[in-house]
Amino acid sequence: MGISIKGLNKDYFSEGKRIRALADVDLTIPANQIFTLLGPSGCGKTTLLRCIVGLETPDSGEIAIGEETVWSKEKGIFVPPEKRGLNMVFQTYAIWPHMNVFDNVAYPLQTRKESKEDITRKVKKTLRFVQLEGFENRPATKLSGGQQQRVALARALVAEPKVILFDEPLSNLDAKLREETRKELRDFLTELKITAVYVTHDRVEALALSDSIAVMKDGHIMEIGTPKKIYFNSDHRFVADFIGRANLIEGKVRVVEDSYAIIDSSIGAITCPRSPDTSPGNTVSVCIRPEFIKVMEKDTRESRNIFRGRVDSLVFVGEVYEGEIIIADTHLFIRIEPTLTIRAGEEITLFLDPDHCFVLSK
Amino acid sequence: MNRTLNPRAALTPSLIIIVCFLTVCPVVMLIFGSFSEGLGAFGSFTLDKYTQAYTDPAFAGIIVNTAIFTIGSAFVATGLALFLAYLNTRTNIPFKSLFRILSIIPMMIPHILFSVSWVLLLNPSNGMINLFLQKIFSLEGSPFNIYTLQGMILVEGLLDLPIAYLILAPAMASFDVSFEESSKVCGASNLRTLTKVTLPVLRPAILASFILVIVRSLASFAVPSVIGMPGRIYVLSTHIYRIIATGFAADYGMAAAVGMSALAASITLIYLYRYLTSESEKYVTISSRGYKPSVVDLKNAKYPLFGIVGILSFVLIVMPVLVLLYISLVPYTMVPSAKAFSMMSWKHWVEVISDPISLLSLRNSVFLGIVGASLGVTLSVFVAYVIVKIRTRASGFLESLSFLSFSFPGIVVGVGFMWFFVKTPLYATIWALLIGYIATYLPYGIRPLTSAFVQIHSHLEESSRVCGGGILYTLRRIIIPLLIPGVVSGWILMATMFVRELTLSVVLSRPGTEVLAVQIFRFAEDGLWGQLSALGIMMIFISTTLVVIASLIGARLTKVETVSQ
Repeated sequence: MGISIKGLNKDYFSEGKRIRALADVDLTIPANQIFTLLGPSGCGKTTLLRCIVGLETPDSGEIAIGEETVWSKEKGIFVPPEKRGLNMVFQTYAIWPHMNVFDNVAYPLQTRKESKEDITRKVKKTLRFVQLEGFENRPATKLSGGQQQRVALARALVAEPKVILFDEPLSNLDAKLREETRKELRDFLTELKITAVYVTHDRVEALALSDSIAVMKDGHIMEIGTPKKIYFNSDHRFVADFIGRANLIEGKVRVVEDSYAIIDSSIGAITCPRSPDTSPGNTVSVCIRPEFIKVMEKDTRESRNIFRGRVDSLVFVGEVYEGEIIIADTHLFIRIEPTLTIRAGEEITLFLDPDHCFVLSK
Repeated sequence: MNRTLNPRAALTPSLIIIVCFLTVCPVVMLIFGSFSEGLGAFGSFTLDKYTQAYTDPAFAGIIVNTAIFTIGSAFVATGLALFLAYLNTRTNIPFKSLFRILSIIPMMIPHILFSVSWVLLLNPSNGMINLFLQKIFSLEGSPFNIYTLQGMILVEGLLDLPIAYLILAPAMASFDVSFEESSKVCGASNLRTLTKVTLPVLRPAILASFILVIVRSLASFAVPSVIGMPGRIYVLSTHIYRIIATGFAADYGMAAAVGMSALAASITLIYLYRYLTSESEKYVTISSRGYKPSVVDLKNAKYPLFGIVGILSFVLIVMPVLVLLYISLVPYTMVPSAKAFSMMSWKHWVEVISDPISLLSLRNSVFLGIVGASLGVTLSVFVAYVIVKIRTRASGFLESLSFLSFSFPGIVVGVGFMWFFVKTPLYATIWALLIGYIATYLPYGIRPLTSAFVQIHSHLEESSRVCGGGILYTLRRIIIPLLIPGVVSGWILMATMFVRELTLSVVLSRPGTEVLAVQIFRFAEDGLWGQLSALGIMMIFISTTLVVIASLIGARLTKVETVSQ
């Protein structure tokens, strides 16, 4: 079941100042997708999620889940969260400490007054699904973080909601567990064919989990797209920068040839794929990700996008060296294989892969 | 289409109305009353009562007495509390668990009984210590007279010691030791560090405790009535009582006019207190890194100092109960001796049990304790919920409103309620007392519940909503079970307060609605110490029983919740 949001506004007052948490948000979340709201803290993503679930009331606008309008200022509709037929996994898991695992998971069924047999059967099935079979009688607080997370997931799934919402559910797990749980979650959700709205500030999580990502900033949705679109070909400077390490170079389009445009910049002429924004004379930003900058032999046969630069700093971080290169006063951030033997202060030749230099439109 | 009114939105205004009725209503009635001719002539405006009250030549003396009494008590309580708090948190004094008991238990002993036990020990005609010293040193007169300002200050100071300790001990324990360490590194001695660094840094907390004790002693009625009145030493609270309870005609208008100044002083002081506590939070910071305060080695002073603490505990906890028990058993006040023990009997106990008014007061107080605390806690649950969980401007208003009564002296509130109840069928019923109690002691119910609500993360509640539980279902299945510890302590606090309530009751209690403390007060006025002591012991027994039962029920309920499936 999809979600459609129209003209949603929400202001906060904090210390006498008005903060726009949501500014005219229009959004359609397609059914049976994993849809991620990604953005820095304070961008409004959690507020948006809480408005959808009904824990917060927007100032104006309309929210519909499937065909049913659940909130509308104009029509005076407010469906309380318990009647919206969705469920949510909280950042803190919100496992009730006075109940055992069974009671925690059975809760959504108990609120609907289902029969005891049905409840036992469904809870058992769901616990098996999240691999917590046999944990029924454990006090919920005696579980590890990962197990609590799965109890929260089981509780959210047990009543087979139309939509399930996640508010940074992995941020309280340690790095290794987070990676494992992310994979599991992806498998669970794909298997269930369910609409999932996922809020995170972790770009890797967003990229790895989502079918679509909406990047938010200051209450606005900046850009919506598939993970690949967002990463490789984002339109906005902010999005390009937020989703991964990016080198942003200002320049002016000199000429367009075939499928490429040539852009004059402070480091020289850069060749990149043509796009609607690359009309000659336009001022543009070119984005190149560190992993697409390669260190070349001095006498490389490659003719386009070859630059000479000085290594300013080089830090070994495990799988790669992270380096900063200065080309004509412009700093470029690169990742190079640890097997290469270069040192700070050396002059090196760099190649910026033209197919991965993309022009930002905004 | 689903059109639902958000019930949350309706909760805050309805609570504001209820709490407003409870806390603002007596004040408004007090103001109106102070400008009225008398209880019968409410509404006819007059300034007579103010002129009458404030041109009374005795009034200046009363103000001076009140000032000496309150400030003196504040010195005694804060000084002792500082001494105890320092010993407990910063030195290696033995048996530290005693300090916790010392700070909690005296609150369980009703103030009127504590005052009475001191009267029994130190009154000039037959105080036991006086009799004992006269006998030993063959003195002509009594060496001590409790019926003085000094006597009042001593007893009130001891009574307010726990409250001062509860403010100072946490401040002392949480304060950043690096201040002290840097002083020591600079070469200062322990004593110098204490006087030049520790105490100045704690100044806001010390002032806060000082002011709170002043507010409490300003509102105090037990000590001024039991100790002050026989010595003809009147303070504001007893002056008000004298206006309404003695003489030919009770003048509630004048009582209200005098009450206004007590109320104004109280409110001002509470504001000062609030300001200081917010200041002290700035000063005394708990650093996040786990540290252990460095402990001062008391060396040889260790056991002598502990001896002082031991004596204090005895005086505060054991002695009052022992004195009452002893006096309830001997035929008249006498120094413990073989003869005294041979004359012991249950005479006073039998008299109390066969006295219809004492029995009625027992029944009324038990009823008020159980029913009042249950209703009070129920209201507190909703108020605390709104204060902690619905953080709007309206809920902030509700918070100030519900803590307002904390700054009202009980006898003044009583006069205000009197003006209100006389117009209603509630007048002279037990429900008048019940409403007055809940209004006055609401903060005692709300405090433990707000801390319980703070511990319940809002996500626990929200996830229940999302799981399909409505607001009431969520309350029943999630909030209430998690709140039970807070509910139990709120209930215990309220029930013990209600069972022993004196200040409000002396104003509102009428024939038929006598309560324990008022009956004890009457016994004290008549000098019936034996019966007083017997009834007093029963009162302590009832309080303790209620505490035990409530704790057992609380433990039971929490247990059931965890085992249930």
